[in-house]
Amino acid sequence: MFEIILQLIINGLLLGGIYALLSIGLTMIFGVLEVVNFAHGEFLMISMYMTFWLFHLFGLDPYVSLVIIIPVFFGFGMLVERAIIKPLLNDPPLNQIFTTIGLGLVFQNLALLLFKADFRAIKTSYSNANLFLGELIVNVPRLIAFVIAIALIVALLLFLKKTFTGKAIRALAQQRQASMLMGINVNKTYSIAFGIGIACVGAAGAILMPLFFVFPTVGSMFVLIAFVVVILGGYNSLGGSLVAGLMIGVIEGFSGFFISPHLKEVVYFIMFIFILIFRPTGLFGRR
Amino acid sequence: MTSFLSSIFDFVDQNKRVVTLAALIGILIIPLIPRNSFYQDLIIMIFFWGTLAAAWNLLGGFAGQISLGHAAFFGIGAYTSTILYLNFGLSPWIGMFAGAGVSIVVALIVGLPCFRLTSHFFALATIAFAEVLRLLASFWRDLTNGGVGLLIPHEPGFKNFIFEGKLAYTYIILIMLLAIIFVTYLLKKSRFGYYMVALREDQDAAESLGVNITLYKMITLIISVFFTSIAGTFYAQYYAFIDPDIVFASHLSIQLALLSIIGGVGTIFGPILGACFLTPLDVFLRGWLGGVLSGLNFVVYGLVLIIAVRYFPIGIFGWLKKITGKYIKKPTYALSTAGGGETGPIGERSYRPPDEDTVPLIRVDSIGKRFGGLEAVKDLSFSVYDGEILGLIGPNGAGKTTVFNLISGFIATDTGSIRFDGKDITSLKLPHTFCKEGIGRTFQIVKPFQSMTVLENIMVGVFNRVGDVKEARKEALRIIERIHLSRQVSMEASHLTLANRKRLELGRALATRPKLLLLDEVMAGLNPKETEDIIQVIKSISREGMTILMIEHVMKAVMALSDRITVINNGMKIVEGLPEEVAKDKRVIDAYLGEEYNAELK
Repeated sequence: MFEIILQLIINGLLLGGIYALLSIGLTMIFGVLEVVNFAHGEFLMISMYMTFWLFHLFGLDPYVSLVIIIPVFFGFGMLVERAIIKPLLNDPPLNQIFTTIGLGLVFQNLALLLFKADFRAIKTSYSNANLFLGELIVNVPRLIAFVIAIALIVALLLFLKKTFTGKAIRALAQQRQASMLMGINVNKTYSIAFGIGIACVGAAGAILMPLFFVFPTVGSMFVLIAFVVVILGGYNSLGGSLVAGLMIGVIEGFSGFFISPHLKEVVYFIMFIFILIFRPTGLFGRR
Repeated sequence: MTSFLSSIFDFVDQNKRVVTLAALIGILIIPLIPRNSFYQDLIIMIFFWGTLAAAWNLLGGFAGQISLGHAAFFGIGAYTSTILYLNFGLSPWIGMFAGAGVSIVVALIVGLPCFRLTSHFFALATIAFAEVLRLLASFWRDLTNGGVGLLIPHEPGFKNFIFEGKLAYTYIILIMLLAIIFVTYLLKKSRFGYYMVALREDQDAAESLGVNITLYKMITLIISVFFTSIAGTFYAQYYAFIDPDIVFASHLSIQLALLSIIGGVGTIFGPILGACFLTPLDVFLRGWLGGVLSGLNFVVYGLVLIIAVRYFPIGIFGWLKKITGKYIKKPTYALSTAGGGETGPIGERSYRPPDEDTVPLIRVDSIGKRFGGLEAVKDLSFSVYDGEILGLIGPNGAGKTTVFNLISGFIATDTGSIRFDGKDITSLKLPHTFCKEGIGRTFQIVKPFQSMTVLENIMVGVFNRVGDVKEARKEALRIIERIHLSRQVSMEASHLTLANRKRLELGRALATRPKLLLLDEVMAGLNPKETEDIIQVIKSISREGMTILMIEHVMKAVMALSDRITVINNGMKIVEGLPEEVAKDKRVIDAYLGEEYNAELK
C-alpha cells in the first residue's frame, strides 16, 4: 500500500509540473491584464497539433520542437493581444469574456475543419521507457516533461525578478496607473505579458504531446484543470500556481486510483466549490 | 415619410393595449402559417432558442451575472423529466416542474458560493459546473444510460407530452416564450428591474443603497434556471432523444449568450430578435456548409461573437431603437423652476451644541481595525448628534475612509462597538442592512450606475423606502431639483461631468432617506463655483434636520459647514471641538493643516 501511495504521488507530481506550466500562463495573463483567457485551452491544442505535425512531417522530437514553439507562441500571443485583447481592456467584463470565448470557438472548430475529430498521438523511441527505483516506476517522458516544466517556470520567475521587463510586468500587475507614471511602456508590457502567458501554454502543449492524444477539443479538458489551479493558487500568484499545479496533479492521481479516472473533473469541481466557500482568495492569495 | 412614421409611433403610444392585443393575436397565428414541416420546425426552433436566450439574458444581461453553464440546467430539466417518465411513467408535464425544482435546488447550492466571484471567475466556475454535470451524466449509466443516451418511445397522447405533427409543440414553446417575455417585462418595470441593472453596474453602490444583492441575484437565478430547465424538458419531448453531449454541451451555453448579444443584451426583446436572426442562419450553415465542412458553423459563430461585442455591442434591438428613436417622443419631466430651487424650509438651522445629557444619533465606541500589519483605526471614539454636521478631517492615510467603511458595514470592526439610533449595529454583517437602518453614504471615488440615467440612479436610492415605481419617480425628481441636476435628468450617468457625478452621488445617498448621511469628499476636484454650489446644497439638506458626517479636504467647506470637527491621524483621534478651536490647535496644524494653511489665515 505504501508503495502504491508513493507511486501515485510521483505520478501526480510529474503530471502536476505540466499543469503548473499551463496554469502559470493563465495566471500571468490574468494578473497583468485582468482578463481571463477563455481560449487558453485552445492555445494548448494548437501547440499540441504543431508539435504533432513537426514530429510527423519533419521527424522533429517534441522536446527539440520547444525551440521553435516557444518563440512562435510568444509572437502569436503578442499578435493576439495587439489585435484582439488590447482594445477590450477597459470594456465591461461581458465583452472581454465573450471575445476570448469566441476566439476559442474559432480555433477549436478550425482544428475540427482541418484535422477532423480524430485522436492523434506520436510514438517516440522513449514513449514507453521507464526507470525503476526499487518497486517504483518512473515514466521517462513524464519525468522529462516535469524537468522541462519546472526549469521553464524557474527561468520565468528569475526573469520576472531580475530583468527590467520582468520588473515592469510585476509592477503593472500591482498598480496600473503608478506603473504608467514610472515610465513603463504599458502597452508593450501588456503584449509581452500576454506573449509570455501564451508561450507557457505552448511549451506545456509540446511536452504534453508525447504523453497524450491531440484532438480539437482537447483544450477544454485541460483548461478546466488550469482554472482550478489558478483559483487554488490565489488568482495572481505565480508561485501559488506552481504549488497548486503540483497539488492538483497529486490529487488527480489519488482520485483516479481511489474513485475513478472518469470522475477526476468532478473531484476538481467539488474542490473548486470548497475553495470558494472556505478560502475565496485561494490557498496562497493575498486579500 | 417622417411625419407618417411619427404618427404611427404616436398611435402605438396612445393605444398600447390595443396594439399589444393585436400583436399577441398576430403571434398566435404564426404557428398556423407554415405549410411544410421544414418551416414548422424552423419556427419551433426560433421560439425555443428565443425562450432559452431570454432566460439567459435575465441573469447575464440584466443582472450581469454571466453564466456559461446554463446547459447544466437545460440538461437537468431534460434528464429529470425523461428519467421520471421512462422509469416511473410520470407525465412529463409534472416531470417538467420536478426537473425545474431539481435545477433550482442545484442552482442555489452552487450559486451561493459562486456569486462571491468577480465576473470572469463566475463565468469560469459555471463552465466547470456544466462540464462536470456532462461527465456525471455520462458516468452514471444506471440512471442516464451513459453516453448512449435515452430514447423516448413514440406514444402520442397529451399526458405523455408527445404529439402527432408539430403544431402542438409550436404552441407549447410559444407559450413558454411569451411567459418569459412577460416575466421579464414585469420585472423590468418594477423596482426589481432597477435593482438588477444596479447590481450589474456596481455592486458596492447597490449595497450602499440598501439593495440585498445576494437575494436579488438568487431570485434572478431561480427565474432564469426555471425557464432553462423547462425548455430542457421541451427539447427532450420534441426530439424524443437526449444524450449528455447534446443537452450538457458547452456550445449550448455559449449560444444562448450569443443570441442575446446579437439581439441586444439586457433588453426584453433582444434575445428573441437574436433568435429570429441567428436560428435561420444556423439551419442554413448546418444544412448547407456543415454537411461538407463540419465545424464551419461554429467558426462563423466565433467570428460573429468577436466582431459583435467589439463593433455592435448594442445589438439588433439597440440599433432598431436608435433608428426609430427619432420618431418616438421622449418622456419629459415637469420641472418646477428653471434654475432648480431651494425647496427646503426657509430659515436658519436651530443647532445647539450637545451637552452631557444629549443622546447621540450615532456613538462610535473605541473601534479598531487592522489590515495585516497596518492598524488603520485604533481605539477611535466619537459621536454625532441629531441635526449636527460633524467634519471628519485628517491627513491622507489617516483612516478616514476606513472609518466610513466601518460605520456603513463595508468592513467589519475588529474591536469596539457602534450604537446607532438606540440600537447596537456593530454585529450587522452586510452594507445594505446599514442602509436600511438609516445610514446613507457616498463614495470618495464616485460609483454611478453608468448605463442608467440620472433619474434612474436616484430612483434606485429612493426604492430603499418606496416600493412603487411612479411614486419613486416623483420623489427622485424632487431630489434631482434639490441637487441641481434637473437639466441632466435623462442623461446617462456615464456622460456626466465630475461635479455632476458628485452631485448624483450625494443625491442618491440622500434618496435612501437616511437618518445619518456620510459624505466622503463630495467636493474633491471641484472648482470654487461648483464647491460653493455643493455647500449650498448641503446647507439646505442640513436645514431640514439631516445629521451629516463628512470627510472633506476643502478647508473652506469644512469651516463653513461643520458644527464640530474631529481630527484623526494614524487612525487615532487627536483633537475634537468647534471649528475655530480646531483650526487654532497646534497639534492639528502640525499633523494636517501645515504651514500653508497658517499662511493662508494671515
